[in-house]
Amino acid sequence: MRIGDIASGRAGDKGDVLDLTLVAYNADDYQVLERLVTAEQAAKALHRVVPGEVVRYELPALRALKFVAPTALPGGVHASLRAGLHWQKAAIWLLLDFEIEDPQR
Amino acid sequence: MAKKWPKDSFTIGAGAGFAGDRIEPAVQMAQSGEVDAIALECLAERTLVNAIRLREANPDAGYDPRLKRRFRPLLPHVARGCRVITNLGAANPGAAARATSRLARELGLSKLRIAAVTGDDVRDRVDEVEWTQSIEEGQWIGAHVYLGLEPMIAALDEGADVVITGRVADSSLVAAAPVQALALEGDAVAAALTVGHLLECSGQITGGNLTEPGISDLSPEELAGIGYPIADIAPDGAATIRLLDGQSGRLNVAGCTLQLLYEVHDPRAYITPDAVLDFTGVSFEETGPNQVRLSGTRGLARPDRLKVIGFLARRGLIADIEIAYAGTGALARARLAADILRLRLPRELGISDFVIDLVGVDSVLGAGSLPLRCEPPELRVHLSARCEDAEMAQAVEDEIYALTISGPAGGGSVRSERRGRVESITGFLPRDRVSARIEWAHEP
Repeated sequence: MRIGDIASGRAGDKGDVLDLTLVAYNADDYQVLERLVTAEQAAKALHRVVPGEVVRYELPALRALKFVAPTALPGGVHASLRAGLHWQKAAIWLLLDFEIEDPQR
Repeated sequence: MAKKWPKDSFTIGAGAGFAGDRIEPAVQMAQSGEVDAIALECLAERTLVNAIRLREANPDAGYDPRLKRRFRPLLPHVARGCRVITNLGAANPGAAARATSRLARELGLSKLRIAAVTGDDVRDRVDEVEWTQSIEEGQWIGAHVYLGLEPMIAALDEGADVVITGRVADSSLVAAAPVQALALEGDAVAAALTVGHLLECSGQITGGNLTEPGISDLSPEELAGIGYPIADIAPDGAATIRLLDGQSGRLNVAGCTLQLLYEVHDPRAYITPDAVLDFTGVSFEETGPNQVRLSGTRGLARPDRLKVIGFLARRGLIADIEIAYAGTGALARARLAADILRLRLPRELGISDFVIDLVGVDSVLGAGSLPLRCEPPELRVHLSARCEDAEMAQAVEDEIYALTISGPAGGGSVRSERRGRVESITGFLPRDRVSARIEWAHEP
């Protein structure tokens, strides 16, 4: 399944830092999300496009995961060679469209 | 000292979330009579760079050029008691306050008290800033420290109807009026700052940028008229975020959660100039249609150092150009055009720092794009290149244009732009190296 099948998301940026939020649709989905979308898995999704470390924070009370990639946007979004400005708004789809498999389902 | 607030809560609205944001949501809030103050957040990193350049060309410029358009419909409501706190001052809050004062006089509202908060410009202290990366090449365009609540509260204490700032923390901009009116302390300040953080992106908490199934299914009509958020804050910090009655939008727990964590790094320690916020205990509860109650914010001591954003101009510029192909075989012709550019740019221009991709295929997410499932009826070849100077940018642009004649059939609809290579650098200054001041455009 896609991560986006069980979670909503939003991407943000500050300077070089890309941040991605996932919010599970329900408590069961959060369990799956927390178990399967590790920092390593997120890095695998992101490394097709942006470089560097990925840190994960868990917020079970909010059914949310926070991923922070401190060196993903070198020089900030205005220094990017992508078409136009602010491509990073779409970066959440790198996670939402990422396929995960749940061995427990 | 401020007078005691006569009501048992304070209602703050977020009337704008960026410089180019819509005008009418703030006017609707003011007209409702329900909103005690409106915050207009209109200053992004890029907006500030443009403002600094405007001020360099003209010492009376450097504030947001939309200032009059925003204030003209609002000031009559300000005269009836709805205060406005805004960072429209950008690189020149003093000039912005004077311009607003002139507009007020023009509207017959010369009694309005308009304050500017200055002191965020720390261009003269760039050598004292502890930058988070080494600065090797480039020229400082400007540097601004993120100010906190104090100067805005001081201006409101002294009776300001309008407070115009430059760079202040967005959450503090929104929190200033309720914190001042209710004389909030401790975790109640943390709650107001959290409300500020939630509201600062306007429509992003009321159903905008929220398109997942199961969470948002707003119609074009509803999205075209989306209401911006307001919050009722009580003296103990209890807060409810809502829309005005009859406004369209979607304000729910999922949307609040996404916005709570938006552009937050460590959720245990969201650093603002006025407190370090811990979001791990936050909870949201839907208490009515488009109405969410916030609780559980904790605030830790404010940081000793303030964040600085510096703008460094690197040599050269980015040329960003596109050419379109349409009809049968468009994809193959576009790929052929891309291959030609990949051969010619290094060989004829000696350029290696460039990106070529296809708009409609992979220009946004690059190698992370979804696979192409069918041939698009039209698409655009995009090329961005870092160029030494304008002459080189011209040569790169010419390479695209030459494809209309000497490349694959039917290339056209060319568009291009050039961007300066300005990088945003983060740093920190000790609090005692920063002094905010208040300037009155009209003596109180």
